Amino acid sequence: MIVTRKALPRRTFLKGLGAAIAVPALDSMMPAFAAPSSGAKPVRTAWFYVPNGIDMRHWTPVDDGKMASALPRILAPLEELKGEFNVLSNLTANWGRPLLVGAGDHGRAAAAYMTGVEVYRTAGADLKLGVSADQVAANAIGTQTKLPSLELGLEEARMAGNCDNGYSCAYAYNLAWKTETQPLPPISDPRAVFERLFGTDIAESPELYAKRLGMRKSILDMVSSDTAKLQSSVGVSDRRKLDEYLTSVREIERQVEMAEKEGMRIDPGMAKPFGVPPEFDGYYKLMTDMMLIAFQTDLTRVATIMIGREGSTRSYREIGIPDGHHPLTHHQNNEEMLEKVAQINCYHTKLFADFLRKAKSIQDGEGTLLDNSLICYGSGLSDGNVHTHDQLPTLLAGRGGGTVATGRHITFQRETPVANLFASMVERQGVRPEHVGDSTGRLAGLSLS
Amino acid sequence: MRTFPLTALLASTLAGAPFQSVVEPVLRQKCLMCHNDKTASGNLNLAGLMTPASLAAQRDTWEKIVAKIRTGEMPPKGVPKPPAEVVSALVEHVEAEFEKADKAMPANPGRVTARRLNRVEYSNTVRDLLGVHFRANEEFPPDDSGYGFDNISDVLTVSPTLMQRYVIAAEKIAARAIGADPLPKPGLFDRRSRVQRKGAGVMELNDIIEFPADYVIRAKFIGHRGVDGKPVLTRISIDGKPVKEVEVPTAFTLVNRQGGATQRTQEEVRVFLNDGPHRFRVEFVNDEAGKSIPPGPGPGRNNIVPDSFEIAGPFPPAEELAERKQVVICDPAAGAACVEKIMAPLVKKAYRRSISKSEVLPFVKVSENARAAGYNPGQALQFSIAALLVSPHFLFRIEKDPAAGQVKRISDIELANRLSYFLWSSMPDGELMALAEKEKLHEKAVLTAQLARMLNDGKSSALAENFAGQWLETRSLDAAKPDPVKFPAWNADLKEAMKTETQMFFEEVMRKNLPISDFLDGKYSFLNEQLAKHYGIEGITGGEFRRVELDSPQRSGVLTHASVLTVSSYPSRTSPVLRGKYLLENILGAAPPAPPADVPALDEAAIGKKGTLRQQFEQHRADPSCASCHARMDVLGFALENYDATGKWRTKDGEFPVDPAGTFPNGKSFATPAEMKMLLKADMPEFTRCLTEKLMTYALGRGVERFDRRVVQQIARQTEADGYRMQTLIGGIVNSMPFQARRGEALRQATKETKAK
Repeated sequence: MIVTRKALPRRTFLKGLGAAIAVPALDSMMPAFAAPSSGAKPVRTAWFYVPNGIDMRHWTPVDDGKMASALPRILAPLEELKGEFNVLSNLTANWGRPLLVGAGDHGRAAAAYMTGVEVYRTAGADLKLGVSADQVAANAIGTQTKLPSLELGLEEARMAGNCDNGYSCAYAYNLAWKTETQPLPPISDPRAVFERLFGTDIAESPELYAKRLGMRKSILDMVSSDTAKLQSSVGVSDRRKLDEYLTSVREIERQVEMAEKEGMRIDPGMAKPFGVPPEFDGYYKLMTDMMLIAFQTDLTRVATIMIGREGSTRSYREIGIPDGHHPLTHHQNNEEMLEKVAQINCYHTKLFADFLRKAKSIQDGEGTLLDNSLICYGSGLSDGNVHTHDQLPTLLAGRGGGTVATGRHITFQRETPVANLFASMVERQGVRPEHVGDSTGRLAGLSLS
Repeated sequence: MRTFPLTALLASTLAGAPFQSVVEPVLRQKCLMCHNDKTASGNLNLAGLMTPASLAAQRDTWEKIVAKIRTGEMPPKGVPKPPAEVVSALVEHVEAEFEKADKAMPANPGRVTARRLNRVEYSNTVRDLLGVHFRANEEFPPDDSGYGFDNISDVLTVSPTLMQRYVIAAEKIAARAIGADPLPKPGLFDRRSRVQRKGAGVMELNDIIEFPADYVIRAKFIGHRGVDGKPVLTRISIDGKPVKEVEVPTAFTLVNRQGGATQRTQEEVRVFLNDGPHRFRVEFVNDEAGKSIPPGPGPGRNNIVPDSFEIAGPFPPAEELAERKQVVICDPAAGAACVEKIMAPLVKKAYRRSISKSEVLPFVKVSENARAAGYNPGQALQFSIAALLVSPHFLFRIEKDPAAGQVKRISDIELANRLSYFLWSSMPDGELMALAEKEKLHEKAVLTAQLARMLNDGKSSALAENFAGQWLETRSLDAAKPDPVKFPAWNADLKEAMKTETQMFFEEVMRKNLPISDFLDGKYSFLNEQLAKHYGIEGITGGEFRRVELDSPQRSGVLTHASVLTVSSYPSRTSPVLRGKYLLENILGAAPPAPPADVPALDEAAIGKKGTLRQQFEQHRADPSCASCHARMDVLGFALENYDATGKWRTKDGEFPVDPAGTFPNGKSFATPAEMKMLLKADMPEFTRCLTEKLMTYALGRGVERFDRRVVQQIARQTEADGYRMQTLIGGIVNSMPFQARRGEALRQATKETKAK
């Protein structure tokens, strides 16, 4: 980095060279920059997507309404937190279904789940989907924060080729779609997430940093005007590509301006991570910790995380399961395989419980960070064996700033679009889209009144 | 219409016979009973396909039909097959009609949208522009892919996240190229707590270096081997490359004789390190003496171990980097004139075309702004270079569009760019650009000579890495995680060895201009000790790869490479379906269609457990709707059952003997994987067409369309006529119209926009 190098305190160098995977002490962490001035805290939304469905026999709570009885096996790790969330039954992601198209359920599931539109079958260049629920929010309120949204993923390497029966991998790997044709790839490298949130130059003095921002602005200015000139001399498709580029340039310009206004930067309270932690739980924790810091410091209010890409074949050796997740879910009711799937499902909810506990431990205005959030946990498939896209496993944690009454199991009418939930979530962030994908309204009964 | 018995059709009367006599009767008698208005089995209704005109009107459907008939997948089992000469007459007639239609189509090179450099291209271009080694794969979000490749222009987008990474990367790269930022004071860092001890005599450290500079890497050792300890050869390596070998004493020292129990010694090496993560390793080499010492304390167990690392730095680099000298050709402190002098050649190189002075001036302005803000001249220059690296002219490959609908040859400079990104995944070099500027590159002789030169250049490894790595899917090895319990031999080194084998094999075929049939059956490969052992091949020692001639029927060609066999398996077992699909998609160019919605998934889990695997498949295949695809796919997949999920040879799967034998729908049968490969090889035109399409997709950065078929066919035939030589295939693509021309985009939308203005 150019200016950073000047007059860098020795201490930071030490810290940088040895940057280990440090986990932030969130409880004691005080963000260096002030919270929004008004008393009320903004509502944050997040989507946790788990691939390959969930064994619903061990998911659906026995009670309707208040969940008095002990939670079933997969939700059991969340038992002590059950006052903090609702389990929502019978929601459907209709466009994940084969309908007239046929196989490719994994290719469609994640894409259809978040967007509520038809997933255009192609393994080629002509991707076509819709704006995902999180981006509906980000496109509306994203300018209020440094980052409009944060996309995370826990699967590093990508496969080549089409991912499922002629559906491009882009559909299975990307939850967030900014436009019909532009997916926002999740970041899976912890260091890249860190740098996206906090910048590469957190060791810089305020004066040097301000100077650097000035230079960045002048460079981006120059690039913008250059691109504008270029656009007038190229064909329509090329112009579209350059438009996309220019939009991104403008977005970075905006971020720079925002950083200039803030003056001070955020102290993340953690060292820059180095590589991907070898154990899955460490990886999960590190990435979700950064999501929490981003929420806590109001760097963004919208986040998505793919616990695995749809159709993931990750094996979970951490809990003694060497088989790939996806092949296991095609268990054909084989007991041994069913058991392994259930163990993976439980492992995921256990990690999610740790995340919720942490969110609950963070003070945020009058309440906790969890109180002010709406965190949807679920999958675009229920039964991974036969690929069902209705009666989806769905859990909504957090009170959305007091707009959601928690602690209940709510069973909706069959075929209620899961997009209705998403519309209800973003609405609580002050976004009022006519619809989100195929939503037909809002979910009734989330707030008790 | 009168129908007559098929057997009455004799081959001699068939040549040139019309649709009504060679196609229609077959359809009526063999196909229509399932593919009709009512049942439309497999979503195919032949009612509208009974006329010659349908060949053109419903070309896509017809292509599928003829492919199914040609391979014998249709008519399915249970329907008596028409005589072979009837089938071939039908196929020949239809294919001849296709070709006629293709020839009648106006020449169309297609269009390639402005292409953003993908991660590999970005890294390579930065390397060739500034001599900076930047690992974009670790810094940028992954590129999406289309048609199986990650260089498809329409899919490569610029998200805000990527843009942010571009800005950060540009500053980093510029700083590395110029090195004008003052370094912090050097420090000494004890890395003991982060050292990983990997077995006897080996330690490793993974660490991040913040500043590109010189560092002293110090390896510390503890212990001794008593009075007689002989020195042990010790190797220090960084990022897999040995940087120092030295004899480390292991005997008592005088100091120790006087009472101390342990001795400490250290070795160090001063090296230049780029910023970013590095892996440091210290190991005893050929340490026979060490092996005889049992671990643990006690008499006779005195030993010495590499114990910890210390890193000191950063120190200013001992000598100015050669790359830097090439860039900084005058002292930027001298003012704007020098900055312009430095930037002009850089901008030209980075834009990969000729430039005007007015295109350089904004970069000079950036430097001036930086100077005004108080930066030193070198730092100011860094900002100019950073600006260059985020410019759309650098990040995109943009070609000049001809007038709407018009087809025009691309300029020599554009050709130089296409050529070098195709073969090198990087920018053109000086020689190529010089020829292009003189407008000589497109001349056949010049182009041929350049092609040969470029393939011979080490940079053409990029074609093996990026094309073959995606065509054969060996890139996916990084995501492969075979079950360590079932496959204890699997580790990162074996994985790398697998990749290297396929990479070197492809390079051999490419550079030595060998026939592409070697991909199916080349009786040689590239092995090191570890991989040879994996294959059960004796007599290969050491870590280096070398060409090995193969004489066992177990291995030949890429289909028996462990890399290919691993990526087409599940983590814990093989999958005949995955492997069959792999072969159909990547070797035969006949990607199976998606299974119909109502077909239950095959229960693959029972494989190897109940020993009824094949029966289960047979059952699945008994259903005619499954049979049409699986008849070919499963046969291909089962043929490779002699190779386990990491590509090791086996004759038993669990308790049950492996039975690789099979019969293709066209009646040809085989008993071993080697025989199956011979059958693939017997149909070289099919494989050639498949490889041509893949290579063309990669070369053009767009999908192969219907109007490309004629060109594909032409290149494939040329290659065939020249003994299937690889360079003939590559040359065929480079010399083809789609590679050398461009069509102007129809301006429908553009006019609308202009009107709006």
